[in-house]
Amino acid sequence: MAVIEAIELRRTYRTTTGVIRRKPLEVEAVRGISFAVEQGELFGLLGPNGAGKTTTIKMLITLLLPTSGEARVLGHNVVDDAREVRQRIGYVFGGDRGLYERLSAYDNLRYFAELYGVSGKAQRARIDEVLELVGLKGRESERVEGYSRGMRQRLHIARGILHDPEVVFLDEPTIGVDPVGARELRTLIANLIATGKTVLLTTHYMFEADALCDRIAVIAKGTIVGEGTPTQLKANVAGGRVTEIEVFGVDDAAVGRLRGIDGVTAVTVEDRDQKQLLIVQTTSERELTAPLLSELDGVEVGRVASREPTLEDAYVALVTAE
Amino acid sequence: MKTWLRIFFVGGVISFRALFSWIRPSIYIPTMLLGPTTQVLFFAYLGRTAHLKSDSWFVVGNAVQSASVAALFGMGFAIDGERWTQTLSAVLATPANRAALFLGRALPVLVNAAVTAATGFLGGALLLGFRMPWSQVPALALVLLLASFACTGLGMLTGAVGLRMRDVPIIANLTMAVLLIFCGVNIPLDKLPGWMHRTADWLPMTHSIAAARRIAEGASLRSVSSELLRELALGLTYLLVGFGLMRFFEQEGRRLGTLDRA
Amino acid sequence: MTRGARVFWTGFVLHFKNLSASPFMMVTAAIWPLVYATLAFLMFRATHQAPSLLYAALGAAVMGIWSTTATSAGGAIQQQRWLGILELLVGTPARLILVLAPITVAIAGIGVYSIATTLLWGRLLFGVPIHVLHPFLFAVAIPAAVLSIGMLGLVLASSFVLYRSASNLSQALEYPIWLITGMLIPLSLLPGWVHPLAWALAPTWGMRAVRRAAIGGDVGVPLLVCAALTVAYTVLAFLLLHHFERLARDRATLALT
Ligand SMILES: Nc1ncnc2c1ncn2[C@@H]1O[C@H](COP(=O)(O)OP(=O)(O)OP(=O)(O)O)[C@@H](O)[C@H]1O
Ligand SMILES: [Mg+2]
Repeated sequence: MAVIEAIELRRTYRTTTGVIRRKPLEVEAVRGISFAVEQGELFGLLGPNGAGKTTTIKMLITLLLPTSGEARVLGHNVVDDAREVRQRIGYVFGGDRGLYERLSAYDNLRYFAELYGVSGKAQRARIDEVLELVGLKGRESERVEGYSRGMRQRLHIARGILHDPEVVFLDEPTIGVDPVGARELRTLIANLIATGKTVLLTTHYMFEADALCDRIAVIAKGTIVGEGTPTQLKANVAGGRVTEIEVFGVDDAAVGRLRGIDGVTAVTVEDRDQKQLLIVQTTSERELTAPLLSELDGVEVGRVASREPTLEDAYVALVTAE
Repeated sequence: MKTWLRIFFVGGVISFRALFSWIRPSIYIPTMLLGPTTQVLFFAYLGRTAHLKSDSWFVVGNAVQSASVAALFGMGFAIDGERWTQTLSAVLATPANRAALFLGRALPVLVNAAVTAATGFLGGALLLGFRMPWSQVPALALVLLLASFACTGLGMLTGAVGLRMRDVPIIANLTMAVLLIFCGVNIPLDKLPGWMHRTADWLPMTHSIAAARRIAEGASLRSVSSELLRELALGLTYLLVGFGLMRFFEQEGRRLGTLDRA
Repeated sequence: MTRGARVFWTGFVLHFKNLSASPFMMVTAAIWPLVYATLAFLMFRATHQAPSLLYAALGAAVMGIWSTTATSAGGAIQQQRWLGILELLVGTPARLILVLAPITVAIAGIGVYSIATTLLWGRLLFGVPIHVLHPFLFAVAIPAAVLSIGMLGLVLASSFVLYRSASNLSQALEYPIWLITGMLIPLSLLPGWVHPLAWALAPTWGMRAVRRAAIGGDVGVPLLVCAALTVAYTVLAFLLLHHFERLARDRATLALT
């Protein structure tokens, strides 16, 4: 049985626009999303801002009612069995809100331990354990207001796993954390999986998703546009290889000609100061470097490199495809 | 429109919006209008409990005092609220005429204060049967305006202090507490210990309240003119000191980078 | 202790700690009761027909409990939302009322500081004798008053979170409740139609219990009524919060984003 199951989940927000004359406005944030996450899996949700990731997570963690569709976590319905679900899951949002600033980290944890029913003797031991795990041991008696962004994020994670939940939801847990700190957080997340937990993660960092996730769903405008292991995603979309060509002053016509070449699946142009970088995705059957260059006849060409597609290439192809 | 005039009004409207981001009437009416009325009622009944003074004595005192609440808090928040939204240094970075800028901020606060006091009277009239000759209303309105002006001056001073300290609400609370006790709002001045009585002479509101009470009883403006002049002088003094202090702190704040300290 | 009691107690202790660390909360909780005590002392002292100064000191002290409740408890749920904590709290398996009640009760509890300060202030500046007739009953009456007033605060908080346009009413409730619950003004001075209203409000009975424990009179009845009102408010808050949670999950109003 899948640990997390989403079946045709939909969520529409009703808000108003305008300050003087309020007009009702409906935002279809999630439009029929289905996926399943198995025990012990680290599942990633990727997607542009406003794609509906947070909305999806909030429905799964019982904080938001779906407009239609169904979701179960560990077999419990997220609408009707909210308490059962809440008891068994942990969740962590990125950002530095959500803590009692004037209390110590220890008190923050003690409070939530009690709310999650971790009490008595077990409580102290468990709090020590999670503090150790997130690397805040020794700083726990300081007030949170003096904590750095990274420390707050660790504290959030500590809070999220206090009650040893079977499933952990992480919504952009490394946002705003410095590279070293983010790497440590990733190790922490990988360790969660090592201890048998199931994790659902959202992030905007592709290398992070690539490094951590067993499986990924890419969401754009409220629907899933691609799903699979990172390897599958890379293979499906790019089909094979990526050729990067540095050019100086390429025009639209030349880019159009490149797109016309048999075997080229996508061409994107990135501006870099005076030069541009052409990222050409091709199928792997043929070696296309020569035809590409011949179409660029007359354009000053710099460095040319051919590489394996990254998850980012796959992601960009998925979310830009109309 | 002249630039300084525009700044005056725009600054004013912005500060007013910051002050009542909840400007919707459904909220403004209960808080700003219920407040003075319930205060008037409370102290009038407290006066009955103590067998101290007549209901109208309390109606006048508290209605005028409620103007000070509005003026003090309004001025403080107009400045402090701005720092909250981190716009203060942006505003100060403009070459706008400083006097127009800050006085523009004071104007809506002043008007609001006067309206607040007026509702106190209305509440007293409706619920406690407070009566005064209709012919005295213009004179009373003038006194109210003067009281609000004097308190706005004090508010300018506390607001200026707020430029330096984070605790504007605390300062505003303390100031209000002092005004409530010292200025003869609820305790006749002659029942106060001597030093309090003497201090009251130098606070805004003391003289307006005294004048307002006499006007409510039918006295002419002329007969209370010395009180009114004194109040005007006090208000001007506070305003100027507050304004000077604000400019001083502004310069200093630029130097020390404390303007937007959140 | 049962789990519910533990959740309540831990929450109360931590929120009390959190509030005590807020300078604004502490200063306002300390200043205003002293201001009203001073006003009452000076007013009562000016005539010979007024109640005693101890009566005034106790009244001002309990006014302080209501004051913190009116100014802070009404917006307590909003406050948690602004802190970004509301959804974390709702997301726990604990019952919402057990999570939120400690907050408003702790807010009322901050008012207890004012009992100490007003009595001391009165003693030092106005020579008011601190004479408590039944210290034990006094010690029971204070928590009873705090608990019932705090639960009234929760009723306010949960109504205001549902009817947001009313939420600024909370502060406007300060004077009216002081006026009609016999803090400084005997109920007998007020018109008859006010009495039933006063009887339904915890501050009336909390005040009575505290004052009678100190000055004399039957404490049992006010204490019992306090307890009964606490139960009634709890039921009311439970229903309101139940409704709120469902509505908030539906309308996505738990978080600010
Ligand atoms: N409470 C709300 N009321 C109205 N609209 C909302 C609300 N929350 C989210 N939305 C809208 O729903 C859509 C999806 O938002 P959501 O937060 O789920 O996106 P996301 O994928 O998490 O984005 P991000 O990467 O920026 O976190 C957006 O268009 C957003 O504006
Ligand atoms: Mg999001």
